[in-house]
Amino acid sequence: MSARSLHVAVPRTAAKSSARRPQPVRSLVARGLADRWRSVLAWGIGGGLMCAFTAGVYPSIQDSLGQALEGYPEGLKEAFSIGELSSVEEYLSAEAFGWIVPIAVSFFAIRSAVRSIAAAEEAGHLDALMSAPVSRRELVGATFITTAISTVGVLALVALLTGTSAAVFGAGLSTGLLLAGTANVWPFAMVFGALALVVTGLRPGPGVTTGVSGAVLVAMYVIDLVGKLADPVEFLRHLSLFKYYGMAIRDGIDPLAFAGITLGALLLAALGAWLFDRRDLDG
Amino acid sequence: MVCAENYGSGSAPHADGPGQRRSYGLLMQKRLTPMAVIETRALSKRYGSHRGIEDISLQVERAEVFGFLGPNGAGKTTMIRTLLDLLHPTGGQALIFGLDAHRDSLEIRSRLGNLPGSYATDAHLTGRQILNLLAGVRGLADLGRAEELAQRFRADLDRPLAHLSRGNRQKIGLIQALFHRPELLLLDEPTTGLDPLMQEEFMRLVAEERERGVTVFVSSHELNEVERICSRVAIIGDGRLIAVEAVADLLGRASRNVTLQFDGPAATDELSKLDGVHDLEERDGRVAFKLTGDVNPMLTVAARHRLRDFQVTRPSLEEVFLTYYSQDAA
Repeated sequence: MSARSLHVAVPRTAAKSSARRPQPVRSLVARGLADRWRSVLAWGIGGGLMCAFTAGVYPSIQDSLGQALEGYPEGLKEAFSIGELSSVEEYLSAEAFGWIVPIAVSFFAIRSAVRSIAAAEEAGHLDALMSAPVSRRELVGATFITTAISTVGVLALVALLTGTSAAVFGAGLSTGLLLAGTANVWPFAMVFGALALVVTGLRPGPGVTTGVSGAVLVAMYVIDLVGKLADPVEFLRHLSLFKYYGMAIRDGIDPLAFAGITLGALLLAALGAWLFDRRDLDG
Repeated sequence: MVCAENYGSGSAPHADGPGQRRSYGLLMQKRLTPMAVIETRALSKRYGSHRGIEDISLQVERAEVFGFLGPNGAGKTTMIRTLLDLLHPTGGQALIFGLDAHRDSLEIRSRLGNLPGSYATDAHLTGRQILNLLAGVRGLADLGRAEELAQRFRADLDRPLAHLSRGNRQKIGLIQALFHRPELLLLDEPTTGLDPLMQEEFMRLVAEERERGVTVFVSSHELNEVERICSRVAIIGDGRLIAVEAVADLLGRASRNVTLQFDGPAATDELSKLDGVHDLEERDGRVAFKLTGDVNPMLTVAARHRLRDFQVTRPSLEEVFLTYYSQDAA
């Protein structure tokens, strides 16, 4: 007798008096977001205050910036994408959105992804959850969506505080460019959140997953920096996501780069789900 | 093997109230004949070069309370986690409800409840939040019988687990395993941390679930508890199955502890020559020994003498369990 025919043979004793369609991804995302609002506030307000300060001081220092920059080596200015700094957008790009913000928000995404699976697995929290009808792929998918929404929350706070500060101090910040600059961080950070899911699929535990994903992020930044400073190794920049990240707060979003990076994040998340599906769960 | 058509379409009649549940239990009794709810065929799980379980073949039938016994590290939890597809087997196959435990895992898990050993979840969540999440995942619009179970186990669903004692967290674990009225319960050390009153309540609940047609697979160190609630047990050691037997048979076949207090010289020589008598000790006319097999030759010898006292006790499951392991170790 086939397994299927036996399956038909078994009665269902579960009383589904008030049954509805199972929604594992929706339920997991709702729970994940409820668990994360404090960390979204902490990371969003932290990053937002830093950017708000940067935007707020610009009007008072913009006249002296030109003189200060004259003494900077050209290579250094190029490495840190420092142009004339003749606008608050350029200043924000050089001081925050060119490196600190994408690195910090990427770490947030890594931690969010690690929390839902690798950390939960190490703490033994997944056994009860995975005894319910939720597939490994749904768990990874829900984690990716939760991380994506949480990251939007962090970036929205950053944009809100930065825009408010710029308006209060009369920095003349373009709302469109501010939104473009913050939105551009999202796919970048999601790549590293998804990378954490790939590493999770290889089962090294939460510490190593965070470490490896963070190390790749920092390594990409260093490669990009070195590539800008030294022409002979400039080609290495192709290995870094920072090369494709651009300066959206100054130039607006490059739709092709935005879509490509988003696609990369989705592919990494899919790879993570495939790897996670194939391995044992630690108990 | 049971034919599919004996069971109709397999869809569950609604069983909203207790009365309806009872009638559904009767319906099940009438319509169903025994079948294996869990069947493993040479199921093995190795962790690299380390042993997990090896060649485990057993069947657990519907509405059976089946005990899975073994010392720490014997492979009990590995067995349960392999059935749940949390671990992928390295050999053999497991079928639950006749479905492949790996390929059809989602369908299987929608019909079972599991209490993991060392139940753990996010400690900042309350029991109600945990149950709401699981209800959503399972497609339940409400918390089913969670309130009834919480009342029964005196569990607090509204305090974060971090603020609960181990026993009270275990109650939440039991409720999440049971609240959706599963057809199969997998329970790994279910009474850990529960006080004696709650242990009694748990055993009553298991008996009720069995009456309702639920199959229970329970791994436990509490052999007194297993002896009371299980109809059959499997004994596992070093990842291998040592025995699968009805508890009654296991106890019935085991050595009896016999003590004869002779009123005069003890018949030590006669008794020691009997088949099945071993570990005989004599002191001041009191002879104690273990007896396996037929009791009549021993009674015949005893009847030829005058006795002051006579006692035969069956061993507890714990003693039987230890005997198995001492034999296995030897």
